[in-house]
Amino acid sequence: MTTFWSNGERDDRRTLVVIFLRGGADGLALVPAVGDDAYHVARPTIGIAARDAISLDDRFALHPRLAPLLPLFRDGALGIVHAVGSDDTTRSHFEAQDRMEHGGAGAGGWLGRFLRARDGGAHGALSAVAMGQEYPESLRGAPSVAVMRSLDDFAFAAGDAPMLRALATLYGADTGALGGRLAPAAHDTVAALDRIAALRAAPLRSRPGADYPDDDFGRSMAEVARLIRGRVGLSVATVDLGGWDSHFTQGTLLDPLMDRLARGLVALHADLGVEEMARVSVVVMTEFGRRVAENASFGTDHGRGSVMFVLGAGGEGGRVRARWPGLETRVLDGPGDVPVTTDYREILAPILRLHGVTEVGAVFPAWRPGGPTSPSPVSS
Amino acid sequence: MTSRRRFLRATGALAAATALGACADERAVRAFWLGDDSSAFDPPEATSIDPVSHVLARLTYGARPGDYARVRALAPSLDGAARAFTEAQLTAPRHDDSADRAVRRLEALSEPAGELFEYQPTLLREQLVSATLLRAVYGDRQLQEVMTNLWADHFNVDISKGDCRWLTPAFVRDVLRPNALGSFPQLLRAVVLSPAMLWYLDGRVNRRRSRDERPNENYARELLELHTLGVHAGYTQVDVMNAARSLTGWTVRARHESTFGIGRVEFDRQAHDDGEKVVLGERIAAGGGPRDVDLLLNIVTAHPACARFVATRLCRHFIADAPPVAAVDAVAHTFAATGGEIVPSLRTLFGTPEFGSARGARFKRPFHFVVSALRATGAETDGGRATIGWLERLGELPFQFPTPDGYPDEAEPWLGTLLWRWQFAAALAEGRIEGTSVDAATLARRAGGEEKLFAHLLGRVPSPMEVNAARASRSTLALALASPAFQLT
Repeated sequence: MTTFWSNGERDDRRTLVVIFLRGGADGLALVPAVGDDAYHVARPTIGIAARDAISLDDRFALHPRLAPLLPLFRDGALGIVHAVGSDDTTRSHFEAQDRMEHGGAGAGGWLGRFLRARDGGAHGALSAVAMGQEYPESLRGAPSVAVMRSLDDFAFAAGDAPMLRALATLYGADTGALGGRLAPAAHDTVAALDRIAALRAAPLRSRPGADYPDDDFGRSMAEVARLIRGRVGLSVATVDLGGWDSHFTQGTLLDPLMDRLARGLVALHADLGVEEMARVSVVVMTEFGRRVAENASFGTDHGRGSVMFVLGAGGEGGRVRARWPGLETRVLDGPGDVPVTTDYREILAPILRLHGVTEVGAVFPAWRPGGPTSPSPVSS
Repeated sequence: MTSRRRFLRATGALAAATALGACADERAVRAFWLGDDSSAFDPPEATSIDPVSHVLARLTYGARPGDYARVRALAPSLDGAARAFTEAQLTAPRHDDSADRAVRRLEALSEPAGELFEYQPTLLREQLVSATLLRAVYGDRQLQEVMTNLWADHFNVDISKGDCRWLTPAFVRDVLRPNALGSFPQLLRAVVLSPAMLWYLDGRVNRRRSRDERPNENYARELLELHTLGVHAGYTQVDVMNAARSLTGWTVRARHESTFGIGRVEFDRQAHDDGEKVVLGERIAAGGGPRDVDLLLNIVTAHPACARFVATRLCRHFIADAPPVAAVDAVAHTFAATGGEIVPSLRTLFGTPEFGSARGARFKRPFHFVVSALRATGAETDGGRATIGWLERLGELPFQFPTPDGYPDEAEPWLGTLLWRWQFAAALAEGRIEGTSVDAATLARRAGGEEKLFAHLLGRVPSPMEVNAARASRSTLALALASPAFQLT
């Protein structure tokens, strides 16, 4: 019998939330290396002065707009990785996103494979949810994906009491078909619909302190929290936050985005609380970072290494992990980019294990730990 | 015997409602065959699924309004009518105007293979899924669509891998559909040497330029395991290796390596291992070059395990998750005796008592469920994003299964999809799917009332319990589409 998620007692499932910063987020804006002289030399105009930044350690700091994240970092809930990225060298948004979301050149997306590879891979109607209107490449090949902006998108007409009672009667009486397997499947479905109906009936109220930004991103994060707390069997949620392609006067572009990102993460953490967060991992990633040196229009061009954030389980919080090569011109990649010294899959692998994957190779078939992008660690 | 005129009436009328963006002459054609959309039709009157409803359920993606009566009229007896319809589907001309009309606006899909590279992959993917839906909903030669999609599972290709993003539409159009009811060995050869499969299972990098170079075994293994013999057929690792050696040198020009001729399949003699190979006990002499592939395919398709393997897949699809042995034997016998001809094999299958008695007992997969609901309701649909969204939730997007074994063709993995099935039923009945419309009131009137509509949807008269449930639910259409019986075929 397919184990179908249905009620809170049985849904002790962990949830992986993947936030993709589309457009190539500048890791050196989000987490500037204010301790490196070369950083200030390369960014005379748009660089963040050490005195303005939120110091994390001897080298790295948070951009002031990300200040709300500091308590999470200090508490050990939030981990940061720097000089991280993929092996794609095209510096093309399309190619780099495609490659990162597919997790290499294989078929399907890495989250799609994850959902098929994890232990006890039972899959319910809301196991995989993509917030927004697009089915992200990372979820290609998943057993099923609900693309939604909100549970309220679905007028759950079949959840109407008379219809549901009628269906319960018919399926309940049907013992012959498929060797009697339809009736229990229907029973689970009715229970699931009850649960969703209860969720929808309850106002979308967040806990005190959960102050989501009033925009699509904030609403998506609030909805993800609602689904997690509602125990609907959510295993993977994807959320996009776009607009990071900062070729031109990047401060005006990035400042509001960083506000939204920080507020969204902090609100989700507050909303779920420490106990729930123990079974939730939130990963923030982007297709590539940007040129170290600012350009003439006070922006930065497409580069390689950037940052990742991991909030919650598996985050190795409270420190910035980096095999930091420095920012002197001679160590930079190609036209002058932060090198990728940590493959993003190296960060995801232990998180996948935490979420029930025993064979990481099933999710990242072409990747070997300690490959060319994984030199011996140089701690920051 | 079915007269020519009757045959035309059956298949032509079954093309029916090529409703999509119908221009005036299409409407006239449709009205001629079907009457207009407001004409009455007679649903089945038996309390269990009769042979006519059965063949409509299994050989097509489901009966549309009026299909039952039209097929029933093909012969005096129920069995005779079912046989006439089966024969008409088996022997229908391969070209399907009705389906072509339905997908006409999806222009990219008719481009020559090389031109497909000019398009955005996302556009090609959406058009391909739309076209697959629209052909299944509106196509006249239903069995050909059913078989095309069956082979798409058997020879699974995932459109997200490498150049498959551009090559898959041509794979379906030029390889699967034209051969879907042809010869299995020809179909297989077309698959093996298709640019899409050479990409998907790494055949393009299977080469041996020197003794040190090891062939890439990926395709050779799946050729034996998934495409022809089955994993327990008794072949060895040496057979896999030698099959791989026989296929070395066949490659396809990749987009990231070539500037012209992208997608062209070529044989690189320098990369071919031209030594002698022994596969399944049969010898492929040294020096065969590009002929090795044919010798190899002859060996595997003539192997008795191939006939059984293909027969098992066909019987699973058309009869039961656990295919009855007697039927598999019969189909395998015909397959072997005809050198792998698909139509005679299917004719044998549809003639077995096991097929005849396996009524209403297979769980529809999501794609089948969605298409059968659209057909049963006479829906007008653009097969666009909103409809594709339901396939996403239900988990069966054509050409997007990541592993080479294809979407599972059995009930178990799909039992968790009831929730979205019920939601889809309600959304369709209430007209909440963008780009798709159903006139529920007119449909019920044409059927002659709610109970008759229910009979049309189930292929039999509803039980008293079903009638009561429909009354209690307040929407016969939504309830019927969500009911246990409509999930089955």
